[in-house]
Amino acid sequence: MNKSVWLRELRRRANSWFILTMLGALIIVMPVAYVILSFFQPTSENWQHIKEFLLADYIKGSLILVGSVGFLSTVIGLTLAWIVAAYEFPFRKQFKWLLILPLAIPPYIAAYTYSTMTGYTGVIQSYFRNHLDFQFTPGTIEIMSMRGAIFVLTLFLYPYVYMLTLHYFEKQSAAYIESAKTLGLNGFQMFFRLVLPIARPAIIAGAMLIIFEVLSDYGVASFFGVRTISTAIFQTWFGMYDINAAMRLAAWLLIIILGVFMLERFLRKRRKYDTNVTQSRPLARKKLRGIFAFGATLACLAIFFAAFLIPFIQLIVWTVKTYEKVWRGDFLSLMTNSIVAAFIGALIISFFAVLTARTINLYPSMSSNLLARVMTSGYAVPGAVVAIGVLALFITLDEKLAFLYPKLLGVESGTLVLSLSIAMLITGYVIRFMAQGFNAVESGYTKIPPSYREASFLLGRGLTYTFWKIEFPLLRGSILIGFALAFLEIMKELPLTLLLRPFNFDTLSTRTYQYAIDERIYEAAPSSLLLICLSILSVILILRFEEK
Amino acid sequence: MFVQIQNLSFHYSRKQKPVIDHFSLSIEQGEIVGIVGASGSGKSTLLRLLAGLEDPTGGSIVLDGRLIVGDRTYIEAEKRGVGMVFQNYALFPHLTVGENICFGLHKLKRSERKKRLDEMLELVQLQEFAKRYPHELSGGQQQRVALARALAPAPSILLMDEPFSNLDTNLKSLIRMEVRDILQKANITCLFVSHDQADVDAICDRTIYIDCATYVGADKETVLV
Repeated sequence: MNKSVWLRELRRRANSWFILTMLGALIIVMPVAYVILSFFQPTSENWQHIKEFLLADYIKGSLILVGSVGFLSTVIGLTLAWIVAAYEFPFRKQFKWLLILPLAIPPYIAAYTYSTMTGYTGVIQSYFRNHLDFQFTPGTIEIMSMRGAIFVLTLFLYPYVYMLTLHYFEKQSAAYIESAKTLGLNGFQMFFRLVLPIARPAIIAGAMLIIFEVLSDYGVASFFGVRTISTAIFQTWFGMYDINAAMRLAAWLLIIILGVFMLERFLRKRRKYDTNVTQSRPLARKKLRGIFAFGATLACLAIFFAAFLIPFIQLIVWTVKTYEKVWRGDFLSLMTNSIVAAFIGALIISFFAVLTARTINLYPSMSSNLLARVMTSGYAVPGAVVAIGVLALFITLDEKLAFLYPKLLGVESGTLVLSLSIAMLITGYVIRFMAQGFNAVESGYTKIPPSYREASFLLGRGLTYTFWKIEFPLLRGSILIGFALAFLEIMKELPLTLLLRPFNFDTLSTRTYQYAIDERIYEAAPSSLLLICLSILSVILILRFEEK
Repeated sequence: MFVQIQNLSFHYSRKQKPVIDHFSLSIEQGEIVGIVGASGSGKSTLLRLLAGLEDPTGGSIVLDGRLIVGDRTYIEAEKRGVGMVFQNYALFPHLTVGENICFGLHKLKRSERKKRLDEMLELVQLQEFAKRYPHELSGGQQQRVALARALAPAPSILLMDEPFSNLDTNLKSLIRMEVRDILQKANITCLFVSHDQADVDAICDRTIYIDCATYVGADKETVLV
């Protein structure tokens, strides 16, 4: 392409749509870039201390948690998916979606529920003591410390692997499995020699999501007193008020995540997993009889009880006891705060999601692929890292803009404006949950043939008119789903909210967590239950979205 | 010459060889020209370059005395006054037949718009279908709507990209005749792309054969390459 043609192209594409899209990408990238840059800044005294005495422990804690939870929840998720996909047994159809529900319980809520239930005053020990006259040796059944964190995170995160592998088994594996049967493989051989290897991409994708969630977790680890990098970021910020050291910890966490990504690439190398067998024929299920059918039902039932029903019922019981007391308080303002913040966040997310999806759809190229990656990168970056990046960025902005504030806003010089406002929290939400909104809109766009837009251009209509009259009406459903998913994720988010909220700004999730760490467990139940009901809504939405 | 394409080149990426390589073609006003070639020969790309849906890497196009693409000039698709019937018709699924046809008539007054819609519906014999939605029509009817929508703003040239490929074989010959009649009544310059010789024979005044955008031959006239 010669220079004048290149200039011609630049002039055409640099319209206001494009500029706004780039602005969105910049907002997403800046805080993370800021965190990485902290590696090049001079270190503080605190950091020397952390590095010398604590960092190894934090990294060890994170890695043990990631390793154990990653392995155990993958085993559980994969086994359940295989049982549900390949065999017929009583209540299979119901279990198929019931087994996804644990995803609706935020792990930190499960953590305090289980910990209280299994504690000395909890329902289990009291029952044995009072009715069976039996005392447990302290420490036998309590869900606590590292083992508690592993137990809780495993039970409430396995659905990621379950969902992805189940989808794969049901939709794509029939041809391979049928041909393996004709080659004389039995059930167990089939599972280990064929199913496990071919489902690897789905398994790894699910495991990656679990790993990101574990690395991002703050609520569970801090409740059980497990030292991880995420909890350390909080301690350095709230304990030492050392943002520089917190940023360095965040940068270390990013390095671990990068390592996880590289590991995934390495595991995949050279193998091609894309199936060219396109067929919609579902896998024929084998009917289980007698003890096997009973065993399959029992296994599903046990997991469903442990990972959903037991904590859910316990929360209902506690709610019945306390809702009057909690309701009379500032519950309404908590709800308003949560809803308003989530609404504004989701609205901004939808706006940039539409803009970006549109740019990518309109000008497909290498650089737009990169743009898509950038927009969705937030899901892999832990809430605490996003929070520290945003915090540092806003403080810098406040320093740079300080000379303007007295004139513009009539405040004393030296006042912090941006970094004390709700704008900071919402920026954090937008970065962390952009992926939810973007993926929904993007997949909606791929269903609109480009010729619709082209026909509109050729009928003399410009970009903007075409968007509002043709693309927007056809995208409405996808935008709405993306909005709802982002909204619900924001409602549940804990670490980001704890770090970035303005003074005295409480949401349902921060209050729930506050009650829990103050040992006012029963009072935490009503808001927990509300959050879980909202999450069930989001699970249903995801399921409907997948079906489409 | 009404349409003058000179040294037009296009490639999708720098690594691949060009889909269209220094291609030239002239068309007279009112002429219906057919382009035949195998799939992947670049014939659809040629239409898209004329329409302004792809950007050429070099060369120029003059349409009705106006330079629409040159080294420093690029008239956007919406300002070229080119009509196009897409292979999949691209009728907007959420608009009725009438709304689809009126979509490009924003430069007319309301009363004139209504008149033009009636003319178009009459031209394609779909007077009773104005309130229907595209999915409520047969394939042949959808195609006539697409034709009416493209012709409504009175474009200077009509481009048709494999317009018969989605139709049943037994319907094809009937619909070819209909299209031929409509084009003649509308008295429009038309560039028509197909992989099926029979389509072109039935409709076009002149045929051009292309193979990977290197022009191969014409039956009536020699065209510059």
